[in-house]
Amino acid sequence: MIKAEKLTKIFRTDEVETTALNAVSFEIKEGEFVAIMGPSGCGKSTLLNILGLLDNPTSGTYTFLDHEVSKSNERQRANLRKHNIGFVFQNFNLIDELTVFENVELPLIYLNMANRERRERVNEVLEQMQIAHRAKHFPLQLSGGQQQRVAVARAVIAMPSLILADEPTGNLDSAHGEEVMNLLNELNISGTTIIMVTHSQRDAEYSRRVIRLFDGQIINENIKKSII
Amino acid sequence: MYLNQLKIACRNIFKHKISSIVNMFGLAIGLASFILILLYVVDELSYDKQHKNADSIYRLVSISDFEGVGEESASAPFPVAPTLMNEYPGMIERVVRIFNFQAPRSLIQLNDKVYNERKLFFADSNFFQMFDYNFIYGDPQIALNEAFAVVITHETALKYFGSENPMGKVFRYEGNFDLKVTGVIENIPSTSHFTWDFMASMSSVKTMFRGKLPETWVWNPCWTYIQLKQDVKQAQLETAFPEFVKKFYYDATKASIRLYLQKLTDIHLFSHLDYEIEPNGNNSYVRILSTIAIFLLIIATINFMNLSTATSGSRTTEIGMKKVIGAEKWQLVIQFLGEALIISFLALVLAILMVEIGLPYFNVLANKQLDLYLFLDPFWFVILILIGIVTGLLSGLYPAFYLSSFQPLRVLKGHFRGSFRSGMARKVLVVIQFTISIGLIISTLTAFDQLHFLRNANLGFNKDAVVFVQVTRNPIIQRFESFKNELLANPDIKAVTSVDDIFGVAHNTHEFRPEGVPEDEWQFYPALVVDHDFVKTFDIQIVAGRDYDRNNKTDAANAMLINEAMVKYMGWGSNENALGKKFKSLGGEERVIGVFKDFNATSLHTAASPFVLNIKEDDRARFFFLKFVAIRIAGNDDKKTLAFIEKTFNQFAPGRPFEYSFLSDELNKQYIEETRLSRFSLGLTILIIFVAGLGLFGLVSYMIAQRNREICIRLTVGAGIKDMFVLFAKEYLWLIVLSNLIAWPVSWIILHRWLENFAYHINLNIGYFVIAALVSVMMTLCIILWRTISAIRSNPLKALRWE
Repeated sequence: MIKAEKLTKIFRTDEVETTALNAVSFEIKEGEFVAIMGPSGCGKSTLLNILGLLDNPTSGTYTFLDHEVSKSNERQRANLRKHNIGFVFQNFNLIDELTVFENVELPLIYLNMANRERRERVNEVLEQMQIAHRAKHFPLQLSGGQQQRVAVARAVIAMPSLILADEPTGNLDSAHGEEVMNLLNELNISGTTIIMVTHSQRDAEYSRRVIRLFDGQIINENIKKSII
Repeated sequence: MYLNQLKIACRNIFKHKISSIVNMFGLAIGLASFILILLYVVDELSYDKQHKNADSIYRLVSISDFEGVGEESASAPFPVAPTLMNEYPGMIERVVRIFNFQAPRSLIQLNDKVYNERKLFFADSNFFQMFDYNFIYGDPQIALNEAFAVVITHETALKYFGSENPMGKVFRYEGNFDLKVTGVIENIPSTSHFTWDFMASMSSVKTMFRGKLPETWVWNPCWTYIQLKQDVKQAQLETAFPEFVKKFYYDATKASIRLYLQKLTDIHLFSHLDYEIEPNGNNSYVRILSTIAIFLLIIATINFMNLSTATSGSRTTEIGMKKVIGAEKWQLVIQFLGEALIISFLALVLAILMVEIGLPYFNVLANKQLDLYLFLDPFWFVILILIGIVTGLLSGLYPAFYLSSFQPLRVLKGHFRGSFRSGMARKVLVVIQFTISIGLIISTLTAFDQLHFLRNANLGFNKDAVVFVQVTRNPIIQRFESFKNELLANPDIKAVTSVDDIFGVAHNTHEFRPEGVPEDEWQFYPALVVDHDFVKTFDIQIVAGRDYDRNNKTDAANAMLINEAMVKYMGWGSNENALGKKFKSLGGEERVIGVFKDFNATSLHTAASPFVLNIKEDDRARFFFLKFVAIRIAGNDDKKTLAFIEKTFNQFAPGRPFEYSFLSDELNKQYIEETRLSRFSLGLTILIIFVAGLGLFGLVSYMIAQRNREICIRLTVGAGIKDMFVLFAKEYLWLIVLSNLIAWPVSWIILHRWLENFAYHINLNIGYFVIAALVSVMMTLCIILWRTISAIRSNPLKALRWE
């Protein structure tokens, strides 16, 4: 599904040049649950942004679903994103002006799905995420855990083949964090590929493979045998 | 998708109350002013278009230029119309003359009702074939066929006959002739360059002139309208005019007269000739008002742009997330434009309410009967909707592209900060707003000053405490000396004279042939027919020679007074040299007995030109020419003095309506357009300052809200109100200073040009520039102080905890 070859990302300011990723190469197959770990500033989020088509690498190639996308423009990337990738952020990034239902519905709107079909799908996912009773509430009326469940619901609503999660439990207490990790795990079991950036060893335990980054380079790839 | 966007738009409007109110209210004020001015402009542009042949009807006008002296006349001699018709039947469909004996009033009696009617005219019988009026009674084809037939308006019918059918009823005209009603028309639309209450047949005039209409090619009292045949162009007939003048006009005048055509529908806005039937509008004032209204709308849209981009920080998650899940830039542009359109249309609804409330007051100011029914017409309804759309798009376009260009990655990571470019753009927009506002403050103050100057300028005569009493064809003229003596017996009456026009407002031109000029070269000079004591009544200064002397028997027959401009024009060197110079006139030979200091015989739009004062000896000529008695009163008790004048008038002219006006009021009427323009521009300028201030209020509020944390930290480490005020004032004050620096020279150039339109004008006053600067700076400082104090009043620790 994903093939990264010598991915390099360099940030330049007037005086400083920072190499966030340094010739990183790896492959991720469909259905995998991969955790990317490493200390702050090691390039985890930069890698996730490139994998999520939110950013382009400075050099190297990135093949996503057989498309070489490292040089693609925003329009092409947006098109690939909306059909194939779901995002879960540490700070949820829900739109305050929209209700839970409307937030979750948003990706389907951009996929031009018919109104009735859309409603059915949103209700189904909200039920699945056990948040249907909060459908008419606004994000600020929910707890952190509930907000992240809404964010996950929004990430899965368009049935993407890949979910990218950036510190999904970073803003949650341990009980709510576990709830969210269980959700991700269930999604993986049902076939969705998941790539998750985390600091938390506990969250990383849910993954089947851990990629460790240090100073923009992969220092260790660890494939686990057991499934939690 | 659109429903979703609508929801977000509505919720955003409610969430950001201050910016929504500023945006909507500002846009509504801009739109309301724009709609009001649009109604006014549409009305001004629609004059005379109600006639179905309007596009092929022209008025014949003539320019007589005798080496710089002469007239541009809206009227023509009697024989011109029929002769044109005879000469060019292939080009002309019909010609119509309109005539009123050059009488400002006509005496109309019906049983015991006696009125001085201002709007009585005589017209050729085909008047109603050329011009379209809706007849309630009578047949337009034949209504003016008979001598002494008259068509009246519905309003006139009601005034004299109530609900009775007026057909066949008879009015007594000037106590001598009977006019029979042969038609009644619906009231004339106000959008006509002239309106009338009575239109009588021209054949009546023929009878009054003993069977023959005047055949002179000099006297030009007829407003002459020409309807061209289909496919004949204005220029085709105009090309024939030089030949026509050569063939028919007198040798003495033909070299100096030029005829041309004036489109009927252009008369109201573009014609400012001598002898207009009614004062016309002014195209440049319509343009000025439209420009100010557009400025107001631009300032309101700038508020929208500024606030939308300034408050964009609160929408970063929405924009970023939408982009992450696949929204493309154009989809977001459409969303933000949609929001701008929603606000614009809400503002439009609010604006229509404002217009509905404001229209009655506006109508009084504009002297019009405008209403919103115009927009029920499908064309204008579409225009109204387009105004809403264009305003929405203008307001929303920049914010839409600005907001939709956010990089999702940056904004979702919280790296959003208003870019330098957008901050700079906002500053540029604030400078534009204030440059316009400052320019308008200076312009309005200057316009008021110029108007004040026009009203109070030294005209070369004393206009105060002079009462004009209307005596057209009144027996008083025949017994004028007795009437005058009776008046002068009252110590509150200082001087009495009579004249043919309201002095300082209008005058005629008379033909003269100065000494040394060949026999066949008559010249036409602006002149007033006056009577003894004219100079005394108006406090005119004689600079050489003497005034008319009642005891000098030859004065009435052959003495004339001229002004200094005439001395200069004739090249006589000094005023004294002019004394004794001779002029031939139609009455014989005249001799200059005195030279008077130049005065302004018309409005101050034009400079004083050569001028002649002449008195008439012949009783018939006096009866024909003298139309007003001018009375200088002491001004002790105007009411009592006027009652005395009225009583004396009634003794000498029993049954005649007494009508008077003060000269100063008559003079002020000449500046009615300027007065209106000044009032409009004052109103619009106040609105512009308000809307610009509203925008600044919104911007400052958001700047302070964004810097809440900084304010709190500064306060907790000991900063005071003064420190915070100085901190924020610095951000905006330099923009206002820059606006002043731009507005000043631009205003200077524009106003200098405008003032040059007046022959007499004020010098530009630097004080007004300073006032504009002070108003803009003080307003800015007040807004900043207000918002700073409000921010500081909130508990700093509370604010910090929120952060």
